[in-house]
Amino acid sequence: MSKRQVLPALLLVVGAAMVAATVGVGVAGSATKRVAAGHALKGGTLKVNQANADFDYVDPQLAYRTDDWIMLFPTSMQLVSFREKAGAAGSQLYPEAASAFPSVSGDGKTYTFHVRPGLKFSDGSPVTAASFQRSWERILSPKMGSPLGVNLDLQHVVAGGEDFLEGKTQHISGITAKGNTISFRLVKPNATFVSILSMQWFTAIKADTPYSSTGLNVYAAAGPYYIASRDPGRSTVLKRNPYYKGDRPANPDQIVFTPNVDTNQSLLQVKAGQSDVDLSYTPPTANADLAKQYGVNKGRFFVGSTSCVNYMAMNNARAPFDNLNVRRAVNYAIDRPAQIRLLGAYAGRRTSQVLVPGIPGYKAFNAFPLKGADIAKAKQVGGAAITSAPTLNVVHTTSPASTNRAQVAEFNLKQAGFKVNDQPTPATNYYQVIQTRGTTYNFVTNGGWCADYFDPFDYLNVLFDGRKLQPSHNNDYAYFNNASFNKGLDHAASLSGSARAAAYAQLDHDLMAKYAPVVPYLLPTNDYFVSARTKNWIYSSYFGGPYLNSLTVG
Amino acid sequence: MARFIVHRLLWALFLFFVATVVTYLIFWVIPTDPAALAAGKSATPADIARVRHFLHLDEPIWRQYLRFLWNLVGHGSLGTSFVNRQSVDAMIAKDAPVTASLVFGAAIVWLTVSIPAGILSALHPRSILDRFSMTFVLIGISAHPVWIGLLLSYLFGYRLHLTPIAGYCNFFPGTVGAQCEGPVNWAYHLVLPWITFMLLYAALYVRLIRANVMETMNEDYVRTARAKGASEARVMVQHVLRNSLLPVVTIFGMDLGIALGGAIFTEGVFNLPGIGHEIIAAYNGADLPVITGIVVFATVCVIVFNLIVDVTYGFLDPRIRL
Repeated sequence: MSKRQVLPALLLVVGAAMVAATVGVGVAGSATKRVAAGHALKGGTLKVNQANADFDYVDPQLAYRTDDWIMLFPTSMQLVSFREKAGAAGSQLYPEAASAFPSVSGDGKTYTFHVRPGLKFSDGSPVTAASFQRSWERILSPKMGSPLGVNLDLQHVVAGGEDFLEGKTQHISGITAKGNTISFRLVKPNATFVSILSMQWFTAIKADTPYSSTGLNVYAAAGPYYIASRDPGRSTVLKRNPYYKGDRPANPDQIVFTPNVDTNQSLLQVKAGQSDVDLSYTPPTANADLAKQYGVNKGRFFVGSTSCVNYMAMNNARAPFDNLNVRRAVNYAIDRPAQIRLLGAYAGRRTSQVLVPGIPGYKAFNAFPLKGADIAKAKQVGGAAITSAPTLNVVHTTSPASTNRAQVAEFNLKQAGFKVNDQPTPATNYYQVIQTRGTTYNFVTNGGWCADYFDPFDYLNVLFDGRKLQPSHNNDYAYFNNASFNKGLDHAASLSGSARAAAYAQLDHDLMAKYAPVVPYLLPTNDYFVSARTKNWIYSSYFGGPYLNSLTVG
Repeated sequence: MARFIVHRLLWALFLFFVATVVTYLIFWVIPTDPAALAAGKSATPADIARVRHFLHLDEPIWRQYLRFLWNLVGHGSLGTSFVNRQSVDAMIAKDAPVTASLVFGAAIVWLTVSIPAGILSALHPRSILDRFSMTFVLIGISAHPVWIGLLLSYLFGYRLHLTPIAGYCNFFPGTVGAQCEGPVNWAYHLVLPWITFMLLYAALYVRLIRANVMETMNEDYVRTARAKGASEARVMVQHVLRNSLLPVVTIFGMDLGIALGGAIFTEGVFNLPGIGHEIIAAYNGADLPVITGIVVFATVCVIVFNLIVDVTYGFLDPRIRL
């Protein structure tokens, strides 16, 4: 080697040595990190990934997203809740912190609960009625800057809510807590009130928990677990509540969440046992292989239903969709199986109704073809109204999946004889465009709804009560407003028990059979893959995810 | 020299001002409503108005900008996130060391690889080593970091179990909730990200160094040095490398500044909770304060490293100061 080669060669050797040394360190490190084999049902650390996501808040009065609630459920103790059971049993409310379901006054406006004695927070302090009063105050307090409390118009549900929200009172006058008894005085009778209380917002929280507009990261919880640490963007750790004496499962010693993982890397990590499950589902392209290799719902790959329904909406306030026959024609023309095929394997089930299985009042029926488009029938039903219809402005977001969906839908619409004007819209602006009254869109391909609470009111009344139409931010972006249907909604909402379920089943049927304001096409499923050591999978259709406290590792 | 530095500092301040104004203006023209996003799906117009006021979005853009500047200059605060209401300063303070770990570590690797490879290639053009280097350059420039990252983690992480598939460990122990920490785990988790991140830069640097060295070796002063009997080592170190590596110093400073602003792809693939990771999440949530904060941080990085390069260059080559 000549002299002038010595220096660069030396540098090359040093560089290679650095890389090799670091890899060597890694090998040694990995050997020490391997988990010892074991088969105990209880114990261990459940490692949970969140592909491309993190909890926005872990404060129960600010958290709202589905993954927030899946994480919070093991920490929560509510007056009424769902049991960690699969299927229909898991969709039934039971009194958790309450000793029984509430007694309701004759006028239907006062609900009284008695909190079971002996319940404790993770710091050993007792759970009392004031713990549930505080959760309402925190969600409606202006000091929390909580936009979420007003989402469901909660300030108009409980008496005094509006004044409290406006900062005029120290407490919500309609809620009284004394010892273990809490009473809610409502503004008007509300058959959904008990269902509303099942939301994670209304978990027990210590009565002296401060208001915090940024949200608390750690706090005493009364459920089987509590949040031991939270480092946004890095990790969230749940540990067992040592004072929890109830019968809810608390299998792992701790549950560790790692956010913002790349979705493909996350799958590899679960396959390799470096993580146990991803809360953000599996990559759609992997589902077919996973199903082939592990089977469906047989131990590793799970497909579960959700409380969501996907639909395409027609603007009922504008021509041509102010004509029932045209709306019905579109329902015949849209190829539902083709739409679902676009989403990959195990994406969901076809539907032509709005209510979803598991919701009280759900009764399966097919108002429109589920096996594919019926273009001939569409043309027959729509008749001349289709050929004379103005060009349809079809709005969709610009994502690849959304664009594909729109292209297939537009193909079907053209087959039926419509003229189509494709209008891709950025996702950040999409809902602003379609939810503003007077919008010029005719047809949207991205639409749907997931329940906030397990009640048909949260679908039919929230989405199709035309009297609630406002200048902007309308959930009823089909702009459907029918006096007769509205009357039926009022009637159904005033009922309870089986009569209520029957009334909503009829409304669900009538909505599509008589009015067809939207094109429901998909009951989406959530797909999960778990590590080889993860057992005892119990799925919640309400959350669309597993009960994490039930899972076992090791 | 003092005048030169003051001039550069004033220019840096102007750049900073322009960058923040442009970021604000871009967000102003994007047709999105962060208040509506924050308020949720069933909010009434009154609810949205309440949230808009809470987030100060009901103020004119110039007042929002002045509020931002005042908070930055007067209180050293970059504001709070619209999405999770965390302090942007705290987010960046937490993310920056991760990105710095990636960038500085990768920089050491890419310099360690590219300097000798570039010099050897220049000394032996069209040799096997040179052709190997040029193939490496072609791959490094052509292959996307996401593809390289996924490939490496599949091979070394999933198949061979030599490295973690993804993840990050803090260098310093004691972080609340951390599942792994310490220098060994830190380096272990960064091996693949370093390699992935350095490939593009190493390829570019090999090419740059090779060309510079070849050009410099043909300079008259090199021929003169050899004619005067200077040793080959002295010619290489004192004449060839000193001159041919000057542009590398410039580009290295700029690259470091830019990379610190967010190594988006590498951080994404390997789940490194750094600046790049944060800005993608902020973009998805239309989280203006976080995006602005990161732009400010990236701008400061670029300006500071440019300044360092300018001043260093001024010392190395006095003609620059003229």
